[in-house]
Amino acid sequence: MKVGVDRDRCVGSGTCEALAPDVFEVDDDGVLRLLREEPADGEQSDVRDAVTACPTRALTLDG
Amino acid sequence: MSLDAAAPVALDDIDLSARDFWLRQPAERHAVFDLLRRERPFAFFAEPEIPGLEVGPGYYAVTRHADLEAISSQPAIFCSGEGAVSITDVPADLNEFYGSLISMDDPRHAKIRRIVSKVFTPRMLEQLVGSVQEIVVDVLDKARRTAEAGDGTIDVVADIAAPIPLRVICDMMGVPDEDRALVLAKSNIVLSGGDPELIEDQDDPLTAFLGAGMALAGLMERMAAERVEHPTDDLTSALVRAEVDGETLSHQEIASFFILLVVAGNETTRTAISQGVLALSEHPEQRARWMADPELTRTAVEEIVRWVSPVTWMRRTATQDVEIDGHRFAAGNKFLLFYAAANRDPEVFADPQVFDLGRDPNPHVGFGGHGPHFCLGAHLARREIAVTFQELFARLPDLEVAGPPDRLRSSFVNGLKRLPARLTARS
Repeated sequence: MKVGVDRDRCVGSGTCEALAPDVFEVDDDGVLRLLREEPADGEQSDVRDAVTACPTRALTLDG
Repeated sequence: MSLDAAAPVALDDIDLSARDFWLRQPAERHAVFDLLRRERPFAFFAEPEIPGLEVGPGYYAVTRHADLEAISSQPAIFCSGEGAVSITDVPADLNEFYGSLISMDDPRHAKIRRIVSKVFTPRMLEQLVGSVQEIVVDVLDKARRTAEAGDGTIDVVADIAAPIPLRVICDMMGVPDEDRALVLAKSNIVLSGGDPELIEDQDDPLTAFLGAGMALAGLMERMAAERVEHPTDDLTSALVRAEVDGETLSHQEIASFFILLVVAGNETTRTAISQGVLALSEHPEQRARWMADPELTRTAVEEIVRWVSPVTWMRRTATQDVEIDGHRFAAGNKFLLFYAAANRDPEVFADPQVFDLGRDPNPHVGFGGHGPHFCLGAHLARREIAVTFQELFARLPDLEVAGPPDRLRSSFVNGLKRLPARLTARS
């Protein structure tokens, strides 16, 4: 599983960070930083929730 | 005219622009929303008349969850820049002044929003938890002292729901203690919806709105000048320091951003708390359930936001001819996204008229639909609501609502002006 982020769409709402803090972090400039692009097995369900919940639909999943 | 939830409502008699509609009981309003959602999902209404402004062509009331999401998630087709918080078109400078990034479109919107995004993320708010807790405890202890010094009664709005978010947002912005009463009074006017108790001259509400905005802008000017000299780590310093496309924000941009943060930070969370207290008193079994099970807090907070829908609507304007679910619209058409209606859509929520603190999933649009304008303060609001109710159960378990609420006559904020309560345990 690989996570992608469209930084033009992202407004740094932090919704993903709330659901999967080990994978997502909003940077000081208000744009998302991926702490890892390939989440560990135990994180995948939270990451899926984060992708669904993203208010700007800025996140994508591969695999 | 009075009607209860059971009384039939005639479709053609509905007028969401009638000011008195917004004073009706919630059950009556929701009966109307139900009918619109079912029978006329894009009902067209004439715009309310506001002295001093030209009445526009009217608007479509969006009441279905799916339509609201479709509009909200296509910001290029349904823009905010023509005005998101006013039905009537207002002069462009006024629109920006009161709307700031709410009434702005990307790319500028995203650039401005990102200045403060980080501060409102869950990770940063973790550092604020202690101070939110401290504020809540202090406010609740003071409410008990107020009750005990008097006849055992308090006003949930003035003594609990208003001071908590006021202190939280003013701490974040760095507003001095002596200016906080002004922030409260002026933000009440900005979001009064023209309620006659807050706007004395009903023939000239614009002067009152402008005066309140100017007073807040004046405060911001003073604070901004101080932060340029002595920067701190508060939000005001961040606004003063921020650069967008290589330029610092103008005084006007900073002032309107400040107005947005203090007004939105105050009025919405206040409404969630005061209406939440009311909802729990009307559903004592849900209150008992939550008190017995702190684990319920996550879903309980979301259900309060769904149930209350503190912000009733936001506006979007079509930038091109467009079709939604077979309905055709023209460029320039206005849409009011009725979050309060979408949040009771039976297509999305099982038993939508049931207040269920365990509701999960709960895809409510109380913080806005999908799209770039999703509530900036959502994580903060959740935190404030969660801490407030947990501490209410711990510190004021004897709080009982003691009379009917006094509702704000506003179509925009589902606010309460007063909610009498008593503390039954006397020391």
